[in-house]
Amino acid sequence: MSARESHKTAGFVLRLLHYGESDLIVTFYSSDFGKLKGIAKGAKRSKKRFANVFEPFSLTNIIFTRKSRDMLAFIESCEIIEHYDIVRRDLEKTLTASYFIELADHFCPEGKKNEKIFDLLQTFLALLGTGKASDALVRFFEMRLLKFAGFEPALDHCISCKAPIANGSSYYFHAREGGIKCASCAKPERYDQPISAGTVRTLLMGKDMDIDKIKLIALTDSLALESRNLLVGFISHVLNREVKSLKVMEQVRKFCT
Amino acid sequence: MKAYAQPIKRLIAELAKLPGIGEKTAARLSNYILRATEDDVRKLAESIIEVKRRIKLCRICLNPTEDDTCYICQDKTRDQEIICVVEEPDALAAIEESGVYHGTYHVLHGALAPLDGIGPENLRLNELLLRIGSGLIKEIILATNPNVHGEATALLITRMLQEKNIKITRIAMGVPMGGDLKYIDKMTISKSLEFRRGM
Ligand SMILES: [Zn+2]
Ligand SMILES: [Zn+2]
Repeated sequence: MSARESHKTAGFVLRLLHYGESDLIVTFYSSDFGKLKGIAKGAKRSKKRFANVFEPFSLTNIIFTRKSRDMLAFIESCEIIEHYDIVRRDLEKTLTASYFIELADHFCPEGKKNEKIFDLLQTFLALLGTGKASDALVRFFEMRLLKFAGFEPALDHCISCKAPIANGSSYYFHAREGGIKCASCAKPERYDQPISAGTVRTLLMGKDMDIDKIKLIALTDSLALESRNLLVGFISHVLNREVKSLKVMEQVRKFCT
Repeated sequence: MKAYAQPIKRLIAELAKLPGIGEKTAARLSNYILRATEDDVRKLAESIIEVKRRIKLCRICLNPTEDDTCYICQDKTRDQEIICVVEEPDALAAIEESGVYHGTYHVLHGALAPLDGIGPENLRLNELLLRIGSGLIKEIILATNPNVHGEATALLITRMLQEKNIKITRIAMGVPMGGDLKYIDKMTISKSLEFRRGM
């Protein structure tokens, strides 16, 4: 039997699973190991060893051991780096942060390091702390996550005739083919929703825009709706599952109006 | 598990479904049941069935009760103008044990948990709104747990009630009694400073 190796990394808490009488199985998104699953022995009883750390989207310092890469990590200790207290004080921000980490969880396979996704979470959670939980922020997070996870939709040209985006034109998104088509290639049905060139350009811009500029962007209602339908539709097509936090977010909005 | 006879396996599997019970404890409990007298075992089984048959939720506060309304809601000496909102009946029981609270309660039977898909529709919020709609209520105390889910639930209720003329308060968060500051986490310390009081 090989000796357990000890590791240290920073990680966001993605998910918790109650295991037996006193243990928790925690899924993290870590900077050095990508998505990482570990068992915290006695976490439900010992408030001292794991005080207040296993809360959704908290950033923690994890020390763990494991025998091999494909085995459950044994969490020796876990300390808080950032609670995102400002996010937790605001319902919309809490819901948005939950959505971010749920997407990161669904899009990332276990054990595959991707520093860009770790940085993306850190950057966007920080943005949530300093600014509003705006539509633009959510959409640009989705665009970037799709890109880093290898599912970037083709938005800069028609996927059939390859013609680049032209101002004033309408486009149609084809989730199955992962991109947009111009009106003449798409042959839309009556119920197909067109997308304006403005929406497409905004999403393309948001994908690479400077972080400090994101908070300055406010989407018009029609732009927000179009880009939401496009990205949420595409994400649910790619994942082929319900995104729970999105459902809750929409329930809350309905409930509070 | 392999070594056990089929009925014992089944009992262990059923017990292991209970919260906080792992397979080891389930095996220990089943061993106890196996050795107990038939009379004791019958009492246990009957009490489980009786709970299911006789207990329903209080029409007013949703606390489990045998009657239409629970003993707290029936008690006319309690302050009917204050509602303390809790996630689960065990939180209500804990507050009652303290003996300092003399208002009424409302049990949500859950907390907002976006990642588990638990939204407002899964909580008993409409019943709370109905009680508030009666116009009798002057204060709502939000006693949901001091974690992300409980906090989000408190924020949700605050938002729901913001246009109503009701005082909304949140239980204090901070250093536990008998605690030692050097062992307390950052978040709790900062909350205790934020919610400090004059002496
Ligand atoms: Zn085309
Ligand atoms: Zn009652």
